[in-house]
Amino acid sequence: MSNGSKKRKNTVPLLATISPVAIWLLLLVAAPLLYVFFLSFMATDGYNVVFKFNLDNYKNLLNPTYLEIYRNSFIIAFFTTLICILLGYPFAYIMASVGKRSKTIMMIMLMVPFWTNSLIRLNGWKTILGKTGVLNSLLLSMGIIGEPLEILYTRGAVLLGMVYTLIPYMILPTFASIDKLDGTLLEASGDLGANKLHTFLHVTLPLTFPGIFSGSIMIFIPCLGFFFVSDIMGGGKSQLIGNLIENQFKAANNWPFGAALSVMLIALILIMVAIYKKSGGDMEDLGVM
Amino acid sequence: MKKKKGKVLSRIFTALIYIFLYLPIAVIILYSFNTSKMNIVFEGFTLEWYGRLFRNDSLLEAYGNTLLVGIVSTIIATLIGTLASYGMYKFKFRGKRIIDMLLYIPVVIPEIVLGISLLAIFNLSNIPMGLVSLIIAHATFSIPFVVFTVNARLSGFDKSVEEAAMDLGAGRLKTFLTVTLPIIMPGVISGAFLAFTLSVDDIIISFFTTGPGSNTFPLKVMELTKTGVTPDVYALSTIVLVITIIFVIITQREKKNSV
Amino acid sequence: MKKMRMLVLTVVYAMAALVLAGCGKKDNGTLNLFMWTEYLPDSVIEGFEEETGINVEMQTYSNNEEMLAKVQGSNAGAYDIVCPSDYMVENMISQNLLLELDTSKLTNFKNLSEAYLNPSYDPGNKYSIPYLGGAGLVVYNKNMVSPDADFTNYEELFNPAYENSIVMLDDFRAIIGVTSLASGFDFNETDEAKLSQVKDKLLTLKPNIKSLDSDSPKTLMITEETAVGLIWSAEAALAMQENENLDIAFPEQGLYLFLDNLCITKDAKNAENAYKFIDYILNAEVNKEISTEFPYLNPNEAGVALMDDAYKNNKAIAIPAEEIAKGYYVMNIGKTVDTYSEMWAEFTK
Repeated sequence: MSNGSKKRKNTVPLLATISPVAIWLLLLVAAPLLYVFFLSFMATDGYNVVFKFNLDNYKNLLNPTYLEIYRNSFIIAFFTTLICILLGYPFAYIMASVGKRSKTIMMIMLMVPFWTNSLIRLNGWKTILGKTGVLNSLLLSMGIIGEPLEILYTRGAVLLGMVYTLIPYMILPTFASIDKLDGTLLEASGDLGANKLHTFLHVTLPLTFPGIFSGSIMIFIPCLGFFFVSDIMGGGKSQLIGNLIENQFKAANNWPFGAALSVMLIALILIMVAIYKKSGGDMEDLGVM
Repeated sequence: MKKKKGKVLSRIFTALIYIFLYLPIAVIILYSFNTSKMNIVFEGFTLEWYGRLFRNDSLLEAYGNTLLVGIVSTIIATLIGTLASYGMYKFKFRGKRIIDMLLYIPVVIPEIVLGISLLAIFNLSNIPMGLVSLIIAHATFSIPFVVFTVNARLSGFDKSVEEAAMDLGAGRLKTFLTVTLPIIMPGVISGAFLAFTLSVDDIIISFFTTGPGSNTFPLKVMELTKTGVTPDVYALSTIVLVITIIFVIITQREKKNSV
Repeated sequence: MKKMRMLVLTVVYAMAALVLAGCGKKDNGTLNLFMWTEYLPDSVIEGFEEETGINVEMQTYSNNEEMLAKVQGSNAGAYDIVCPSDYMVENMISQNLLLELDTSKLTNFKNLSEAYLNPSYDPGNKYSIPYLGGAGLVVYNKNMVSPDADFTNYEELFNPAYENSIVMLDDFRAIIGVTSLASGFDFNETDEAKLSQVKDKLLTLKPNIKSLDSDSPKTLMITEETAVGLIWSAEAALAMQENENLDIAFPEQGLYLFLDNLCITKDAKNAENAYKFIDYILNAEVNKEISTEFPYLNPNEAGVALMDDAYKNNKAIAIPAEEIAKGYYVMNIGKTVDTYSEMWAEFTK
């Protein structure tokens, strides 16, 4: 078969699969992106956007205070992703190894809590973790602690809130990739005893890495922007990039600077993915391309 | 012996994860019966908050809207996302990198920006503000999550299975539907779950893309939480939770009977 | 096939819920209202619909900037009435978004107290009618602070004795404004040299903050997790009902005030109905109903007069007129807002 005819043969299925997403993205996502990009070069008079080209917003990004906020956000996002992998991967592994009917039940049981509004669930955590909350009262009455623990309004509480809000985004893609492994492979690795860890590290993990990668993307990126988690669990005292951006679009009403922050964030994430592609070799194997 | 121990360990681990996930839910249910308005100490049992809710029929309407928008936008996002993931896996074409890049944008762009831009686009194109605009907006932010999840399933997918089917004379569409789709189905379902979850939880984008008279449930919740989360909100969440669980059980039963 | 049927069932179920809820609406002219969340009792809207036969559609918002963005982005005249706060009124006037009002159509305009009329953001009330408002009050727990603590001065908030025991509004203009007042400067200070002093002072406040919370700061005061708070007056009033150890103070430097206003949009499709609605709200009896449900600061003298003594004597709700007179509204500070943002980032990082 010549190359040319193969190409022609591919045109119809290519159009059928790609054109819906291409049109959708170009109409509804490219436009906002261009708008943000344009806005990031504008100025403000304190109330309204002034259409005057300038680079001040980008210079302002390098302010040492803001740099520290970026650093803190990346640390929180990193640890959230890591904890989600450590908790989510084994869970997904177990979910993939049970029978078909149990699988469905496990998955629905996993998702049901997430259909309650996240703000309310985080407030549930507040009731548990507060100084006079459920956990402290319990521990105090059992005599395990003498003084109430200060958990709420710390960075640790923010981390807990992030993991809690984002963990299904790790479990589901890792499940999708573990589940495709041959069942006999999982069983075989279970029977091998001493070689179990070896098999896992050298067979299972590499084969399911695409799931971990997809999950990490869906956790790391939103984590940088989830301002409400830091507001509710951290008492507004551990600002993240998301809070900084949110503040520009609301209270401070400085949209151009908020746009510049967003452009920077978008650029950083695309660069990170690109570096990963370069170092990780063929992305098709990782399922991201 | 060892195998049994492993099974016990995995049972305990699973149980701990579920406890972690359901702990705040348990608190929400418990405190929805609390006589105190403050959600701090459990003072006594009451049904007062439930009584107040049943007099509020706008909540029912909002819940219906959320369900409708959630289901329809999930179907759209799952269809488009699955096709896209498959197409990008299978074919090399010009502009692939641009689509790949654009997929990250809804995840990373501030929600308020996406919300305002969509509002502007809907106004320019005369799409009526209401359920239609909400569905389009929700599908927009859900598509990438479906694509990423299906990607996780597709990677390492053995292309020879498809080729074998085609060698046997099956058409492309038939091969996709009968061979490929069943294999990637767990990924598609996982993606659909994420899309639905995103939709029923969204506040900011819904605020900008809804029109007068079509409130969604999270927007209503937002109203109720303005002066702090009160037991009414907890009661409301409990009712929704119970309805969801009943609905899930019924559909599971139906599925079981049909098998 | 089965799956398909389930899907259809689900959609039908959702549609049914929708249709059921949508039944029973009468049509006799409409009014599109864009209001703050939890700010207007349903009973008042129902009363208005009954009296006039006008069908009211209400959408709500919880942030001035979001309201503005939505009004600007929507088709002209999508909303008839909006409820911007003080500084946002000024902004919306400058953007030509509001209708110049004919107060002769408002028979109940006379019910408003002079203290709230002719505000700096809209001289002569050409575009805005005061609706409800509030102030940032200092509230403290008598048992948790020393007997000689003096909260009639903002300076007391900076006392290192209150380490990790203050809750404040998550509002950068409020906190920086109050810090500026404590330093002897203006609430809306724009002098960069003075602001650099304010910044140093603000950082001394940081160790004292337990939580920044605009939604429900009262909770921490009631549970005695914090000894001192700078919180909204309505929240302070609720907190005092729940915990009798709490008291409030009016710092001598003056209060941070906000006032929300009823305005008609420039392109309102139902402007006449909007006038009717505003006049209905200004009616003393109706106003009493609003204040009973939402005990905010009420500029409607005639409405307040009908309230009981518990309301009138509660200083956290009915803030004395002389305190209102010395108070400050948030004003446009132009580019200086960048300095404020940076200070705030430093404070909350």
